Amino acid sequence: MTLIWIIAIFFAGGLLCWAAQFVNRVLIKWIALIAAVANLALVGAAYAEYRNGSAPGDWLIDYTVNWIPSFAIKFHIALDGLSLVLLLLTAFLGVLAVLCSWKEIKERVGFYYFNLLWTLAGITGVFVAMDLFLFYFFWEVMIVPMYFLIAIWGDSNRRYASYKFFIFTQAGGLLMLVSILALFFINHANTGNYTFDFFELQNITLSVAEGRWIMLGFLVAFVIKLPAVPFHSWLPDAHSEAPTAGSLILAGLLLKTGAYGIMRFVITLFPQNSAEIAQWAMLVGVIGIIYGAMLAFAQNDLKRFIAYTSVSHMGFILLGVYSFREMAFDGVVMQMLTHGISTGALFAMAGMIKERLHTREMGNMGGLWTGMPLMGGLALLFAMASLGLPMMGNFIAEFLILVGAYEVNPTLTIIASIGLVFAALYSLRMMQRVFFGPRTTPDRHPEPFLRQGELREGSAHSASAVYDLSAREFTILISLSVAIVILGLFPQPVLDSVNTVVQSLIQKNTP
Amino acid sequence: MSNEQLLALLPFMVLAGASIVVILMIAARLSHTAIQVAGFLMLCFTVLAMGYVRDILPQEILPLFIIDGFAALYTGVIIFSVGVVGLLSYIYFEEREENPKEYYILLFLATLGAAVLTISRHFVSLFLGLEILSVSLYALIAYLRNRNNAIESGLKYLILAALTSAFLLLGMALFYMETGSMEFNAIGQKLAGSDPGVLFKLGLALMVVAIGFKLALVPFHLWAADVYQGAPAPVTAFIATASKVGVFAVLMRFSLAVNLQQSEFLLNVFSGIAIASMILGNILALRQQNIKRLLAYSSIAHLGYLIVAFLPGTREGIEASVFYLFAYAITILSAFGIVTILSTRMKDAEDLSVYRGLFWRKPLLAAVLAVSLFSLAGIPLTAGFFAKFIVLLTGANYNLWLPVIVLVLTSVIGLYYYLRIISTLFASAPAAEPRHKPLHPFFHFVTYATLFVLMVMICVLGVFPGPAIEGIRQFLMIR
Amino acid sequence: MHIYLLQAVTQNPDSSYWYLPVGLQLLFAIAFVGLMMGVTHLLGPSRKTADKLSNFESGIESVGNARQPMAVKYFLVAILFVLFDVEVIFFYPYAVNFKSLGWEGFLAVMMFVGFFLCGFIYIIKKGALKWED
Repeated sequence: MTLIWIIAIFFAGGLLCWAAQFVNRVLIKWIALIAAVANLALVGAAYAEYRNGSAPGDWLIDYTVNWIPSFAIKFHIALDGLSLVLLLLTAFLGVLAVLCSWKEIKERVGFYYFNLLWTLAGITGVFVAMDLFLFYFFWEVMIVPMYFLIAIWGDSNRRYASYKFFIFTQAGGLLMLVSILALFFINHANTGNYTFDFFELQNITLSVAEGRWIMLGFLVAFVIKLPAVPFHSWLPDAHSEAPTAGSLILAGLLLKTGAYGIMRFVITLFPQNSAEIAQWAMLVGVIGIIYGAMLAFAQNDLKRFIAYTSVSHMGFILLGVYSFREMAFDGVVMQMLTHGISTGALFAMAGMIKERLHTREMGNMGGLWTGMPLMGGLALLFAMASLGLPMMGNFIAEFLILVGAYEVNPTLTIIASIGLVFAALYSLRMMQRVFFGPRTTPDRHPEPFLRQGELREGSAHSASAVYDLSAREFTILISLSVAIVILGLFPQPVLDSVNTVVQSLIQKNTP
Repeated sequence: MSNEQLLALLPFMVLAGASIVVILMIAARLSHTAIQVAGFLMLCFTVLAMGYVRDILPQEILPLFIIDGFAALYTGVIIFSVGVVGLLSYIYFEEREENPKEYYILLFLATLGAAVLTISRHFVSLFLGLEILSVSLYALIAYLRNRNNAIESGLKYLILAALTSAFLLLGMALFYMETGSMEFNAIGQKLAGSDPGVLFKLGLALMVVAIGFKLALVPFHLWAADVYQGAPAPVTAFIATASKVGVFAVLMRFSLAVNLQQSEFLLNVFSGIAIASMILGNILALRQQNIKRLLAYSSIAHLGYLIVAFLPGTREGIEASVFYLFAYAITILSAFGIVTILSTRMKDAEDLSVYRGLFWRKPLLAAVLAVSLFSLAGIPLTAGFFAKFIVLLTGANYNLWLPVIVLVLTSVIGLYYYLRIISTLFASAPAAEPRHKPLHPFFHFVTYATLFVLMVMICVLGVFPGPAIEGIRQFLMIR
Repeated sequence: MHIYLLQAVTQNPDSSYWYLPVGLQLLFAIAFVGLMMGVTHLLGPSRKTADKLSNFESGIESVGNARQPMAVKYFLVAILFVLFDVEVIFFYPYAVNFKSLGWEGFLAVMMFVGFFLCGFIYIIKKGALKWED
């Protein structure tokens, strides 16, 4: 029931926010915040209850009700350790996303929070849906409001970015739908039983050729979302044009749905075919790591820079998943969490800087530390996290992945670890350009840098005042930094939670 | 003809009677409002009559008609569409034309034609229905004859439709020559087991031309954009829904009777047409700036999707096609409803610029349009998604992988132009122009309410399609 | 060849070869007409004079241009005339079979006339038959 409550609260909260627009504008934010916090509490309670994972093959929560019986479609949601930790991340980042938008969004507030909460509802649904049709349904539900977030409250180039985001993900999604249908009918041909239920489809036997095509359909959807290198081009645009909370959710949660899909569906349903392509997938992952890092190094736009670091970090996920080692799987889960937190934090910070300076160009920043030492310090922390410094969660994640992958393919792993060096390079360069060096920001707002998007926002500050974090911003960043440090120092609880899931994945995919 | 058979025709007689009633009302110089109300009542009577005769179905009226669950479903979709079109028409014509009354006669006649198509099992009734439909449409399309494009598009439709009628007649003649019968079932029996002769194939080719024209399938789609643009918005909605439903119904019935889908060759022809329609329709719509033309091209693509459900020629196919048509009708009606409401006296609201920032000026209308566009694009939570899903399901079930994959890929292309309109809806608004007070507050309210109900229907069908599908199945059992 | 085809016909009564005689006759008709026209055209003497091109008006010389504007209302009336004239075509077979069709037939025709009457009332009320404005 908890799961239904979580999803329902997000949906209902969204509707309430929209409705509240006609009553009181301040009310909207509070409704959104209350909904997000309530869900964090619910997920927290669920975590407290189920934190030790489950017995192998068992599910912590398993809830089924008929939805469209004519087509054997069920509303089937279930929770295991993997879903649990990802739900925790979702609820946590959900609260922060609401807080991030507190001051930034001044227009059409009700509709904004409606979209924000519905995106979160969709993501929650994706993490728990165990009926493939339902999964596809939520997969789309999270895209549409996200499209609106980018298209309405985005930056100057928002229209292009939102199209690109929607069309890329939808293309992948529809191919996945075809694959789901193929599974549905093949299962019927084998067993005479119509079902979209993941539990039942898990036992399907496919010929190699069938499996290859069907897996490809799933994989395309997830790899676009992840994103792996040939399909990554939507990501920098979407991330950089989205409003702060949008980037936070995109980087922190949406990308994880791709990784989750690969772990939950691709390698579970198609172990044989996955083994077949494992080497190639790892190669793609490594290419992503290196290529993303190189592109990140070349960026002048702060948000694009962060976006490309995401491409680089997500490469580790492919590398880890397709090595089929216990450690690597653990590392992948950790990577999902820590990347969500650290990149989310960087985007939140980019948003805060943008609120002050009205620009994303790193060329127009510099020497910000003097103006805002608090943010500088925290930024340094997250830059370190992003480059994989020990004591931060990211280090654990990448270390585990590399150790796991080394057993399988040393060459690629070594190349991948070069990515860590690159990470150090780009992170430090970013710090250097934004926070250190001579202060280049003039007291007056530089007119030439005024963009269309900022005109629309009609900010109250005509001059760009560099002031340090407000209490709200400090809360956001400090909670993120606490989270990342805790994950870095005590990763064991997370690993305990997902242990059974990882074990069963290993069982399925033992080469 | 027995009493029961006569009774089974009651809905059609009520429909025919409606046009007579309207004629007499015009002769009695009653107001537009009175005619609108009476017309609506007559449609309600039709629906009641349909409910009343439900229990005595199926009835076969030899040799022309068969009234079964299949016909009831398609007729239901037609009546539903016409009801909405009628409601939308009031404001539209009241504000534009000093002579809006004859419109309703034509509308009812066209409806009758489309409805007759759904029950025909004989070439004669097919042809009669088709001609009643087409002839009324000629006049309907050119109804606002002072507009720039009205006469042009009316003439275009007239000439092409007359031409295709000739094709259809020759096709029928060839069938008759080959099989010696004009009844679908008799033709089917004659053909069963034997390889159809060359005359039959030739006749079929001619009929495909005629049907393809009516459904605006590629390569017979050339009229669609011009006619959609030139016709008054409610009439466009009618063409997009009722007329296509009727023609598709008769195509389905004919192909089932003669086992069209058994022939490998014909299957290839139809999948070729479907694929071409999906691809070309979506691609041509990409750059359109005129929303009526855009919807015209998108309807070409949608009929292509529908043909994918037609290809298997099975019960599932019929189910899928009925659901698809119903979902499509609701969706396209709400889209054209918005076009209708936003149209000004001089010009239909067809330029994309009219819709700029609509969401911030008129949230309800924009929401309806956005939902219907999402539904056309096949995004979950809307009826259009589920309709597309069922079509995919049917296609996949019968291993029609090529059309299925094309469907998927072209819907991604289609997404672009739907998103283009949607993002226009949500763009920052220009300064709001002064609003004049609506002339007929009651009918404005009714129209808004209708659109709202349509939107709710789209969403409900998208989330809980189960009951609708069960209903369709039950009706299809009546045979 | 000819005879062979006819044999095929006897073997397959459903065949469209039954239409062969019809086709032959059609061909013959076309050929005959073409032949006749061509032959007369070639053989007949032809003289072209102005008189031949002028209108024949019962021997009276025509005056002025025949292509004069006509009130557009004429067309409306003409079309209405055609519509109602067609009605007569349906009456004729009914009149012939009046007895055998009995009361049922009578009712059917009354309905038919009733519908036409509705149309007629409509036309009159619309003022379609009023010549002067």
